[in-house]
Amino acid sequence: MAGVVVKGSFRPRGGVIRVVAANLLRSLFGNAARSWMRNLGSTAPALGSMTLLLLMTGLVGLTALALHNLEQEQAMQASLLHVYLRDGAPMAQVYDLWSRLEDDPRVGGVVFVSKDDALARAQHIPGLPDLANASESNPFPASLDVQVKRIGDVGAIDAMVRYDPIVDPVVPSSYDRGAYQRVQAVLFGLAIAGFAFVGLLGFVAVTVTMNSIKAAIHSRRDEIAIMQLVGAPRWMVRGPFVVEGAITGALAGVFAGAITFGLAMAGIAGASNSFTQFAPGVDTTVAVLAAVVVIGAGLALGSGSSVLSLRRHMES
Amino acid sequence: MRPQANRHHPPIVELIGVGRAYGSRVAVDDIHVALHPGELTFLVGPSGAGKTTLLKLINREIRPTAGEVWVAGLPAHRLKPSKVAEVRRKVGVVFQDFKLLPALTALENVAFALQASDLRVSRNEARERSLDALEAVGLHDRGSSFPNQLSGGQQQRVAIARAVVAQPPVLIADEPTGNLDQDTALEIMDLFEDIAAWGTAVLVATHNIEIVTRLQRRVVTLVDGRLVRDQPAGQTGRMAWLASS
Repeated sequence: MAGVVVKGSFRPRGGVIRVVAANLLRSLFGNAARSWMRNLGSTAPALGSMTLLLLMTGLVGLTALALHNLEQEQAMQASLLHVYLRDGAPMAQVYDLWSRLEDDPRVGGVVFVSKDDALARAQHIPGLPDLANASESNPFPASLDVQVKRIGDVGAIDAMVRYDPIVDPVVPSSYDRGAYQRVQAVLFGLAIAGFAFVGLLGFVAVTVTMNSIKAAIHSRRDEIAIMQLVGAPRWMVRGPFVVEGAITGALAGVFAGAITFGLAMAGIAGASNSFTQFAPGVDTTVAVLAAVVVIGAGLALGSGSSVLSLRRHMES
Repeated sequence: MRPQANRHHPPIVELIGVGRAYGSRVAVDDIHVALHPGELTFLVGPSGAGKTTLLKLINREIRPTAGEVWVAGLPAHRLKPSKVAEVRRKVGVVFQDFKLLPALTALENVAFALQASDLRVSRNEARERSLDALEAVGLHDRGSSFPNQLSGGQQQRVAIARAVVAQPPVLIADEPTGNLDQDTALEIMDLFEDIAAWGTAVLVATHNIEIVTRLQRRVVTLVDGRLVRDQPAGQTGRMAWLASS
């Protein structure tokens, strides 16, 4: 062997930048992909738990969105005050009340609904056509539909108009003091429970994923030690593990996102009428968005957990 | 002809008053030693004398609790963790248990070390230089073998090829023949002699007294963490520490 000399370095024919870029890509992504395939066995638990947790997160997210939309819908409905007018109320007084309401800064808009309009509207509400047909005369009163800007001001507007001489003294308005508060209380409770659940889910997701990835890293501690001992820079040691974590997370995200999308679409297609009522605002676009968010969350969860696990492993 | 150490050159590794303690236990204490380019030095001493600690200090696996460690002009004793890789690129390391990456072939193991030390090395260049290194250790035809397909001696040769492929100025070996039979151990030592002949400072921690006495190279003796003897090449005498091991 004496006299045999290991060749010294020579510069590549191509540009140095190209070589460095190729090496970077290979070190980070090529090695990571190869290593990921090789260690699929030790990564499988992380993949499974992440998929499950991301799926739950996706479904909880869609439910939260539906509840939020429902709350908005309820608020919109509750802030629309129907002021029922006495039959035969002079139009001049109606215009007077109308303009007083429109001038009120708490009011967003006022629409006059005549008795005929009210009847026509009732024809489209289940159950009411029979009632309308049972009577020879039009039983539905004319009304001023007042859109109040803030839900909290509805009571005050009702108090302002309910004793007006042109307002029906028996049923002066649609204002139901407790109804909206009850709905709001239920939705608030659901929101709190939802946030707590999502928080818990997030904590469990990060903990389970970190532990799974930590176990995968631990099983390869010799490999990490060898890489460090031969002088591999930090990024070369950590990078592939982070990319592997990202691959695991993205794959879990794709699985969970696909299932979330599938379930949402099945819901939309299978029970379109009733579904609209139970999950307002959830349509194909939202389902696609939810799937994309779940994939992104998986990517972030996988790579983030890898970074944290690696840091702890290397510090220990 | 035995190559001579480049003693007129400044030392490539210098330990100045180095101490390292693990809690209250002192592993090495007040060590002064310098290694020169082209010098093959044996580090001997009984178990627990501090040989491995000394090697770890040079490779900056650990920091000294006292003194200074200079490696190829770098202050290993005060390097930040983020800069440790710089020292390690100057130091090739050979372990008793080879420490090859099991999922990589012999060629890939060698090439990995080369590209880890220099990203500007292209894939083709890494392959060529790794094949050269494997040829230098007599394994040019085993490049595609995985570590578990190689004998202990062959694995150690791959580890040596990996350690020298980037041509580091320093090579340290911790009991490199500990798992090998005597004939293979002598072959490995021949390789170290050749590597030193290229101008590399080689420090070999070993228990193998037969090899030490046979090669008649510089011998640094550690006992209880203290450097008790530094015998120049050709003057290797009685191994006093043997009585206590």
